[in-house]
Amino acid sequence: MTTTLVDAPAKTAGKVSRTTTKSRMLPTIILILGAFYCLVPVLWVAVAATKGPTELFTTFSFWPSVHGGFWYNLTHLLDFRDGIFWRWALNSLIYAGLGSVLSVAVSTIAGYALAKYRFPGREVIFLTILAGVLVPQITLAVPQYLLLSKLGLVNSYLSVLLPSIISPYGIYLSRIYAAAVVSDDLLEAGRIDGAGEYRLAWSVGLRPMVPGMVTLLLLQFVAIWNNFLLPYLMIANDRRFPMTVGLYTMLNQGASQPALYSLVVMGVFLSVLPLIALFLFLQRYWRLDLVSGATKG
Amino acid sequence: MRRTSAPYVFVAPAVILLAIFLLVPIGYTVWLSLRASRVTGDGLGLRHEVFVAFDNYKSVLTAPDYVHGLLRMLGYGAIVVPVMLGLALSFALLLDVPRVRLTRFSRISIFLPYAVPGVIASLLWGFLYLPGVSPIRDAASALSLPVPDLLSPNTVLFSVANIGIWGGVGFNMIVLYTAVRGIPQELYDAARVDGASEVQIALRVKLPLITPALVMAGVFAIIATLQVYNEPATLAPLSDSISSSWVPLMAIYRDAFVNNDIYSAAAASVVLALGTLVVSAAALRVLQKRAFGLDR
Amino acid sequence: MSRTVEPAAMEPALARRTFLKGLATAVTAPALLAACSSDDTSSDKTPAKGDPNAPADLSFWTWTTNIEKVVDIWNQKNPTQKVTVSRQAQGEDEITKVITAHRAGNAPDLIHAEYQALPVLITNGVAADLSSLAAEVKSAFTDGTWKLVSFGGKTYGIPQDVGPMMMYYREDLFTQYGLQVPKTWDDFAATARQVRQKAPNQYLATFSSGDPGWFAGLAEQAGANWWVNDGGTWTVSINDASTKKVAQFWGDLVNQGILSGKPMYTPEWNKAMSDGTLLAWPSAVWGAGVLEGVAPSTKGKWKMVPMPQWDAGTPATGYWGGSATAIWAKSPHRAPAEKFVKWLNTDPEALDGMISAGGIYPAATAGQSAPSLSKAPNMMPNQPAFFADAAEISKTARGFSWAPNVNVTYSNYSDIFAKAIQSKSDFGAAVDQLQTASVADLKKQGFQVKS
Repeated sequence: MTTTLVDAPAKTAGKVSRTTTKSRMLPTIILILGAFYCLVPVLWVAVAATKGPTELFTTFSFWPSVHGGFWYNLTHLLDFRDGIFWRWALNSLIYAGLGSVLSVAVSTIAGYALAKYRFPGREVIFLTILAGVLVPQITLAVPQYLLLSKLGLVNSYLSVLLPSIISPYGIYLSRIYAAAVVSDDLLEAGRIDGAGEYRLAWSVGLRPMVPGMVTLLLLQFVAIWNNFLLPYLMIANDRRFPMTVGLYTMLNQGASQPALYSLVVMGVFLSVLPLIALFLFLQRYWRLDLVSGATKG
Repeated sequence: MRRTSAPYVFVAPAVILLAIFLLVPIGYTVWLSLRASRVTGDGLGLRHEVFVAFDNYKSVLTAPDYVHGLLRMLGYGAIVVPVMLGLALSFALLLDVPRVRLTRFSRISIFLPYAVPGVIASLLWGFLYLPGVSPIRDAASALSLPVPDLLSPNTVLFSVANIGIWGGVGFNMIVLYTAVRGIPQELYDAARVDGASEVQIALRVKLPLITPALVMAGVFAIIATLQVYNEPATLAPLSDSISSSWVPLMAIYRDAFVNNDIYSAAAASVVLALGTLVVSAAALRVLQKRAFGLDR
Repeated sequence: MSRTVEPAAMEPALARRTFLKGLATAVTAPALLAACSSDDTSSDKTPAKGDPNAPADLSFWTWTTNIEKVVDIWNQKNPTQKVTVSRQAQGEDEITKVITAHRAGNAPDLIHAEYQALPVLITNGVAADLSSLAAEVKSAFTDGTWKLVSFGGKTYGIPQDVGPMMMYYREDLFTQYGLQVPKTWDDFAATARQVRQKAPNQYLATFSSGDPGWFAGLAEQAGANWWVNDGGTWTVSINDASTKKVAQFWGDLVNQGILSGKPMYTPEWNKAMSDGTLLAWPSAVWGAGVLEGVAPSTKGKWKMVPMPQWDAGTPATGYWGGSATAIWAKSPHRAPAEKFVKWLNTDPEALDGMISAGGIYPAATAGQSAPSLSKAPNMMPNQPAFFADAAEISKTARGFSWAPNVNVTYSNYSDIFAKAIQSKSDFGAAVDQLQTASVADLKKQGFQVKS
């Protein structure tokens, strides 16, 4: 729903001068200030990534270094322990990519069912789903670990993927969205024509939900990409760490080992780039109005 | 409606995964909260798990640092939620002012913090706060201004709150902005014809119409801030102002992972979860009518 | 040290009364999980030893830098007994994972553990009794080192590295300000005051609330002995006279602003070490390696000397850190694991590898005079006899034994001392608080504590 802004000058000919230059500049300035506030730490990372280990703590914070620090950090990071950073990046992609796709699939069909059908147990299921998130992940982590260990799955990709698939927020959003965009009339018409429920779900339900699914995909991708505790606890083999955990271990090698600060900063910088790219790329496809709860009557 | 098993099949994957990964661990957590590990025998004797009923709850609720942590968390929420939503609302409304410039740039920039993982964001702000490495200090001394100590006991709550606000403004702004964009144009036009200024339109026309979205965002924000953890935990080793139980989740983490006392951690988690339940149910009850428009 | 972890992205939710409904149904399931969180009642029933040369796949959780290179040597020589290194985080984070894995029945065969973490592993039934292995290599380590891994008459780990404490100072800055190298703690205080007079933005050193192991080492130097186990009863004396003396010495200086009170191992500290804000660092033998990581621009400017002394006539020092290799009590490959541990910590080739690639200071006395220690560390080309000096200092090192609640004690230390520094209160009182908290926790866990 990307409504374009219409000035409607014809209707308000005499009054349109309300939007004077001043009243246009002030909002712009405030927004720019807001943008600056949000960008500053991100810019800092970009600048800090240009500093090699000898410069990181000795030079003025916001002045980038031109002494080859960026190249040094980049090459040493990618070389660290025979290129394990690439492995970590690949792992992040697997967990986030596969995890978000599966999560969206599960959430969407669940949301569709909860929105479009009335069946016994509907509310119980819905509210239990939501209630589950009240318990902090920190305490769920250990029981989840014990459980997966019983199933023999710890230290595998599945041990991170499976818990990542459940997204109560995703199911909640899917339900709202399905209720708003999937037409009951079309469904009824389809049933009268004798179409099966599964066929209907695919042809009538799926298509309008696609924009919402893309949004969910993005949200879930970011959440899994940035997740730390779950993979930290589940994975023992450091070749299966995602970037978040890998970078953490680089920074915390022990009181008697040097911290690889400048490499970690470079790693952080590299790790946020894909997400930024994803945002910019998927901008057109978001439909966050499903989150805001439609105001249309 | 004809009988069909389709809805059950559709919700089955979610329900099964939920049962395994959410309900069973929750149940186990509650069970653990009623037990403890005690040592038998001599000096380096071995531990056994025993049933201790509500002892863990008693010690959690009477531990002064846990209670202080709870109060502090409420204080943190009282700062973060209004400020974050206030800023998000303001930015959203400002973006909708006719012919304002650079909207796309502002929108993307303000949303950007969402891409940064919580721990990383806290570390970045840590660098910006620590007097030794902070550019703020460099700037202040260049301008001969006194250098603020942003991690002192008096200021640390605001410094931590700032990180939470920074991270959440963008997302909420987009949510509210899309709500604003959903308002039919005709409503403003009528107001403009009547001579209302942009400010008046924003406050009298737009704001009331996006209240459902605002309320939902508010409830979610309350719940998220009650589970604050990343920001203070990352800053704690950098300064002397943050203790290991500064907010309840830090105490829970410390019990579970540092002190190897998963039992106290379980009890404290149950207390926190119930508290969150109470607060969010209360908030929702108060605002219920406006929040759920849709499929009731 | 940083203990930061991030929970999963917190997702918002609502809840109603059916939360409790869902909970009720879930409570029946945990019986399942309860069965698998096995208790540790039988760790002394060691599995039959087995053949040390039997083929095996051994897992090794460690954090030593570049230890893969050393392990590769073993793997080449013992192709049927492959050791796989897995890096978790350091120290106490790794111990937590080990204990959690043990509860689930899949702990690694070989565990790298700091000395103070061994009692936690023992009481959780994780560490195997290695007394017979220890007997085979008794002479390879000093008595002081064996003390660090022995409890109740049994040995639970083979020492890998030790961290005798010594002081590093900025030779260039000392010359610039005309300062004398302090030989006693009184000298140290005097030098600290001089620094503040001559350079108002600099400090001689800092007192870190984030490094309890550092403080323990300082207490050890003064003659403290925090925990004594006598026939099953613990005597806790964290607030004994020696420790209080150390605490009050530092506390007075910090509260008067003569010394800094900021934690170590932070970005700010890195900067302070790089730009001379801190002129000296009471640290350990591995300090040179850390300096290389945090302040590489100061190469060649630091010098290492023995720690200032309380009693100039009887030089002593403490330990900061150091770790051992332990074996999982339920490892199915006990004998090959023991063979590896013995090789890793006593074989000259292994020791040489760990020194040169890993930068550690070996606990084995033979290792302390290894050829790779004949030249100075990278950071200190100005002190070619670095390791010879270190070996002399380490002869004077004294440690003490640890209780099973060191982790709780350490975590309390950080909170208590951070508060003391912030409120400029008496450090002696802080030590008393630490004593109280530690005793209370030990009792709560069910141990016998002498009042």
